[in-house]
Amino acid sequence: MSLDQQRRQMSGKSSFTRSDRVFNGLVTVAAFTSLFVLLGIATFLGTQMVPVIQDQGWAFFTTTEWTFTFNSAADDVKFGIWGMIYGSLLLAVIALVISVPVSLLLAIFVVFLAPARVAKIMTNFIDLMAAIPSIIIGLWGLYVFQPVGVVWAEQLNQYLGWIPIFQVSSDNFIGSPFIAGWILAIMMIPIVTAVTREVLDRTPPELVNAAESLGCSLWTMLRYVALPFGKGGLVGGVMLGLGRALGETVAVYFVLKLVFDVNLFRILDSGGGSIATMIVAKFGEAGPRELQVLLASGFVLFIGTLIVNIFANFIVSRTGKLKS
Amino acid sequence: MSTRTLLYKDSGTRVEEVRKQSPLRPWTNRTAKFKLVTALAALLPLLFISALYMLTEIPGAIIVVAIYLPIQLVSAVIAALLVGGKNSAADAMIIVLAIGATLLSIIIVFSILWSIVIRGFEALSVAFLTQNNTYISPPTPLGYGGIAHAVLGTVLIVVLAMLVSVPIGIATAVYITEVKGRFRNYVRFFVQAESGVPSVVAGLFILTILILTGILSQSALAGALAYSILMLPTVARTSEEVLKLVPDDLRTGALALGSTRARTVLKVVLPAARTGIITATILGIARVMGETAPLLLTALTNDKTVWNPLAEPIASLPTFIFFNVSLPFPSAVARAWGAALVLMALVAIVFTAARFFGAKRFATN
Repeated sequence: MSLDQQRRQMSGKSSFTRSDRVFNGLVTVAAFTSLFVLLGIATFLGTQMVPVIQDQGWAFFTTTEWTFTFNSAADDVKFGIWGMIYGSLLLAVIALVISVPVSLLLAIFVVFLAPARVAKIMTNFIDLMAAIPSIIIGLWGLYVFQPVGVVWAEQLNQYLGWIPIFQVSSDNFIGSPFIAGWILAIMMIPIVTAVTREVLDRTPPELVNAAESLGCSLWTMLRYVALPFGKGGLVGGVMLGLGRALGETVAVYFVLKLVFDVNLFRILDSGGGSIATMIVAKFGEAGPRELQVLLASGFVLFIGTLIVNIFANFIVSRTGKLKS
Repeated sequence: MSTRTLLYKDSGTRVEEVRKQSPLRPWTNRTAKFKLVTALAALLPLLFISALYMLTEIPGAIIVVAIYLPIQLVSAVIAALLVGGKNSAADAMIIVLAIGATLLSIIIVFSILWSIVIRGFEALSVAFLTQNNTYISPPTPLGYGGIAHAVLGTVLIVVLAMLVSVPIGIATAVYITEVKGRFRNYVRFFVQAESGVPSVVAGLFILTILILTGILSQSALAGALAYSILMLPTVARTSEEVLKLVPDDLRTGALALGSTRARTVLKVVLPAARTGIITATILGIARVMGETAPLLLTALTNDKTVWNPLAEPIASLPTFIFFNVSLPFPSAVARAWGAALVLMALVAIVFTAARFFGAKRFATN
C-alpha cells in the first residue's frame, strides 16, 4: 500500500496540496515524453511512407532497383529497398552466429569458472567493451580488422569453398557481409554477454550448490539447471543484441560495400546491404524525392527494431519475475 | 552502459556471491597427479603449435582455429578422462572453449585500444589539440590544424543534450518511483521501447520535424535534441534504480514533519540520491558520446569553431572522424585516428567517472 493510500485511509481525504498537484502534473507530462517521441517518430516518418507507397507501390519493399538520378522530377525513378532489408537480416544472422556462442561462453566463464577477482575484472571489461563508440570500432574495422578478415575469408573460401555460402563470384573479398558481420558481432558481444551474465548469475545458488554436491559436473549443471532456468533471459539478451545489430549504422558503413542487388548467401562476396547504412550513405546526395524514400526506409527500420526490442524486453522482464 | 541498467528485477542472492562465501569445497582439493596432467594438457598443444608456427608457413589464424583448438580440445578431454570420470570430458571442453572466447574478446578490445593509441599518437600535437581546421585542407601535413573545434562541438552538443534529457529522465523516474502514477508500468514500457530506437532513426526524426520544416537549421541544438532521444532512456532507467535505493524512512520522516510531497521529493529524496543521479547522467553521456549517425543528419560538420548552437552546422569528434576517413589522403586518415584517440580518452574519463560515483553510491547505502 502506498503512503498516500495509507494517509487517505487515516484522514479520509487526499493528502495532496495544490503544489503537489502542480508537481505531479509536471512530472506526469515529463514521464510521457518517451511515448510522445515514439508516437512522433511513427507519425512523422510514417507519413513519409504514404507518398512513397503511392509512387512506388509494393515494389518499394520487394524490388532491388534504385535509380541513381539527380533529376528527381523524372517520371520513372525506381526505389526498391528489398536488397537493404535482406542485407540487414543477413548481417544480423552472421553477427548472431559469431556473437552468441562467444557471449554465452564468456558469461559461463565469468559466472561459473573464473575466480571472484577475475570475474569482477571481466565484468568491468565487458562494460568497457560496450563503451567503445561505434565509429571507433568502424575505424578499427576498416584499417586493422579488414586486412585480417580478408585473409580469413580467403582461407575459408580455399578450404571450405565447397560449402555454398563460402563460394565467391570474384577475387574481391573486401567489403563483404562476412567482415561487416564480424564488426557487428564485436558490437553485440558486450550486450549479449551482459544480459547472459545477469541471467546465469540469477540461477538460485541453492540449486547450483545442490547440483554440485550431488556430484553433477559443470556441463550437467549447466544443461539441467542453469540453462533451462535462464532460457528466456538468454533469448531476450540475444534479441536486444539483434536490435542493436539491425540499427547499427556507421561501423557497417566503413566495412561494407553497399550494393542494391540482393547478395543471397555468398557471405564472402564483396557487397551487401543494410537499411541504416544506406540511409546515411545516400543522405548527402539525396534530392527531395529520394530523401522522402530515405525517411520511409527509416520508418521500416524503426518498426523492425521496435518489434524486436519490445519482444526482447518482454522476455527478459518475464525471466526476472520467475525468481521472485 | 552498465549491466545494472539492463534489467529491472535486481534482487536476491547471486551465484558469484555464494561462490565467494562458501570456501568448503572438498571436491576441489586437487591431487598432484591432477595438477601434473592438467599442466601437461595445457602446455603440450601450445608447444606443438608454436613449433608449427615457427617451422611452417601456415597462416596464424588457420593454426589457431583449425589446428590448435581441436588439439587443445582433444588433449583436455584426454586429461579429463585420465584424472576424472566420463562426465568431466564435457567440462574440459567447456572450459577450453570458455577460455578461448574470453581470450578472443580480450584480444579484440586490446587490438582496438592499441591501434587507437599507436596510430592516434602520430597525429597528436599541441596544434592538433588547440587549433581548428579553418586554414588547412585535408592534404596539409600533420602539425597544422587540429580538432579543438570538434572537441568544443562535442562538448556543446552533449551538454545541451544533457540539459534536455536529464530533467525529463529524472522526472520520468520520479513518476515511476515517487509519484507512483497510475500509468507507471506503461511509462516504463515506453522508456524501454525508446531505448531500442536506432540512432539513425533519432536523427531522421529531428531532421523531419525541425530541419525540413525550417524551424531549425542543421546546428548544435538539432544534434543535441537527436542525442537526447537516445540519452533519455538511459538516464530514466538508471535514475529509477537509484531512487528505489533511497530508504523509505527518509520519505515518511519528511512527510511526518509536515513537508508536502513535492518538497519531500525535491528536498529529501533527490538530494539523498544525488551521487546516483550523477551516475545516471554520466551513463547517459557515455551512451551518446560516440554516436555519429544522428549528427550526420542533424549537425553535419564544420571547419571553423562554432560557439552559437543555433546558427550553423557544427563539427564534432564523431563526424570529424567520419568525414576524414572518407578522404583519400593519408594526413586526413591520420587526423581521424588522432580524433579517435581523443574521443576514446573522453569516453574513458566519462566511464571512470561513472564507476567512481557508482562505487560511492553503493558505499553509502
